[in-house]
Amino acid sequence: MRDRPVLPRLRERSPVHGLRRRGLAPLEVFAQSVSGAAPSAAMAATPAIVAASAGGGTVWSFVVATGLALLIASCVARFTRRMAATGGLYSLTAKGLNPGAAFASGAALLVGYGMLAAAALTGGATYLQALVARLGGPVSVLVPVCAVVVVGLAAGALALRGVRLSARVVLLVELVSITLMLAIFGLLLAAPPAGPELPQPAPGLGGIVAGVLPALAAFIGFEIATALGSEARRPFRTVPRAVTWTAAVSGLLCVFAAQTQVVGFASVPGGLAAQDAPVPTLAAAGGWPWLSPLLDLGLTMSFFACALATTNALARVLFSLARDGVAPRAFGRTHPRFATPHVAIAVVVPVLVVGLAATIAAGTALGPLLVFLLTVATGGFLVAYLLVCLAAPVFLRRIGELTWTAVAATAVIVPILVAALVAYVLASGGTPVVVVLAALAAAAVAWFVWARLRRPAEVAAIGVYDETVAADVLGDPGRAA
Amino acid sequence: MTTPRDPLPLSGRQPRAVRSALAVLEEVVAAGPGITAKEISAALKMPQATTYRLLNLLVGEEYLVRLPDLKGFALGRRAARLAVPVTTTPPTAARAVVDHLRGLVRWGVHLASFGAGQVTLVDPDPDHPPSDAALLARYPQVSALGRLLLADQPEWRALVRELRVFTEHTVSSTSELAARIDEVAHDGIARQCGELRADRGCVAVPVRAPGDGRLVAGLALSGPANRVADPNTELVALLREHADRLAPLLA
Repeated sequence: MRDRPVLPRLRERSPVHGLRRRGLAPLEVFAQSVSGAAPSAAMAATPAIVAASAGGGTVWSFVVATGLALLIASCVARFTRRMAATGGLYSLTAKGLNPGAAFASGAALLVGYGMLAAAALTGGATYLQALVARLGGPVSVLVPVCAVVVVGLAAGALALRGVRLSARVVLLVELVSITLMLAIFGLLLAAPPAGPELPQPAPGLGGIVAGVLPALAAFIGFEIATALGSEARRPFRTVPRAVTWTAAVSGLLCVFAAQTQVVGFASVPGGLAAQDAPVPTLAAAGGWPWLSPLLDLGLTMSFFACALATTNALARVLFSLARDGVAPRAFGRTHPRFATPHVAIAVVVPVLVVGLAATIAAGTALGPLLVFLLTVATGGFLVAYLLVCLAAPVFLRRIGELTWTAVAATAVIVPILVAALVAYVLASGGTPVVVVLAALAAAAVAWFVWARLRRPAEVAAIGVYDETVAADVLGDPGRAA
Repeated sequence: MTTPRDPLPLSGRQPRAVRSALAVLEEVVAAGPGITAKEISAALKMPQATTYRLLNLLVGEEYLVRLPDLKGFALGRRAARLAVPVTTTPPTAARAVVDHLRGLVRWGVHLASFGAGQVTLVDPDPDHPPSDAALLARYPQVSALGRLLLADQPEWRALVRELRVFTEHTVSSTSELAARIDEVAHDGIARQCGELRADRGCVAVPVRAPGDGRLVAGLALSGPANRVADPNTELVALLREHADRLAPLLA
């Protein structure tokens, strides 16, 4: 017999028990991730934002951003092929880096998902208002406020009722939305150009690089499947695939959308970057004004799916932090029948909805609010991505399965993410975003210090995941040992 | 919807990969739980990256599991399906309980074990021969005993190979089957009326371990299809009573 330490006793039940284990089909997991990335919304909105920095290099910026997202996905897959987590990237980071970094990732994810959910609700309200106005309805602040309340509570109720149901709703809504988008963009691409093409500025390297950060922001949320590890059927296969395919599909859709819009505005002075609402403008120029309400409908649906998917993820991050003992323990409770983290959902959703509805009712313009929320969310996600990419090779070394490809992927992606983070902070200098982020970071540090003082043992052991239990093992070695 | 299959057609020309995967499985069995990826790679003289890839594949398919330290490997539950389940004769005391029930009812009484994730008849009624054992093992969804097994597994879809239609009553759609399985999980009793043979039906209740409640066996009554559909309150009570008496003898 080889010399090996005595096996640890296997637990009788998973530390994240209470969620419905191994129930979600691969397509349902994939749909959650796709909805988190909300490619429809990204297709309509981001190309113009990227064009403002990248100019002629817009399409290339998206190509580079897709490559980066795929690299991040490969780092995430090092973990998700080996462990099934409920807390998303933070549970993964905890297996590679120290508790402080894991906690930072958890806080960053809470900010990311929280702000992304709020942004999705705001986006949904924006396009619903536009749709109502186009169809001759009233233009009043009441429309977006009602939309936020109704959509937010509906998303909360679905998330509460069961992950399976909400995953199916997300799948259906996202499918309709992407189909609508593809049809609209296909039609626009087929349209003849409006006039002679103006000379385009050559796509410079600097422009492409400057465009990568806003292009990368189009992908945030694509890792949501990592929060469904314990609930997915065959998670070690499904979750890494869902994340990688979401990065690839979102990237393709965005490149296609960017190309359509760049070509469409090739004959307009200022090009795509000068456009405020590029897709409706193109639709009107093409003689299809009826495309605009369809576009609004598709975007509203996409944002709804995004709100639902992020609510699921947000609640599970909070649930995992509670099971780790660093968040209030009540958040770690699950509903006996629906098998969802109902306390976390019941607290988070009303807070988000009321806060957002009050902000909109106070007269905040929807457009700037959406941009603000997305910017803050991007900050959170950049931190979480950076930490998980750093953690991947450390984790592999710890379990003795390090390969040079893992080191290479991290060596490439980490400097880029650091640069992106620096660029992000510089770009938001002097805006309220920095103030908000600083306040959130201070709150996270205070929370961590409190947890370290009050619950040192829990903090040291941070990072619960859906580990192998006695029933999963043939012959039950834990008992025999 | 059965197990999702890889869409890529397999040419069968990767004999080394298959051989290596089987060697990895064998090594985990031989070395016992807790063996690490590095140890497997060294023992089999296989390149490390290849070993890691194969291990991740086998973990993804759940033939292997990673132990909580994430370093060590052990055989997963699914690996049990690679072996032919050994039919063990139940203890005399258990057979006496089953015989006692046979004396009380005019229907066939069968006892099945679920040990290997399969329906294995361990005490079929000699006077009322049940359906072919191979059929019961292969198509768990058409028998009451099989449905007990499926209802106990969150991943029951993986055990349903093919929704084969035997009679006009056979459940032939996944959604209908899912509804039936949910019913079984909820009520703790499974039925099938003329789905395997048009004139026969079956009622089955689980035998669960007294301590942890895990499913160990199923006790079934088989009779005329039209009678099985009735509530049969007294008969079911009798069946449950005997199942409870079997629990400490089989677990």
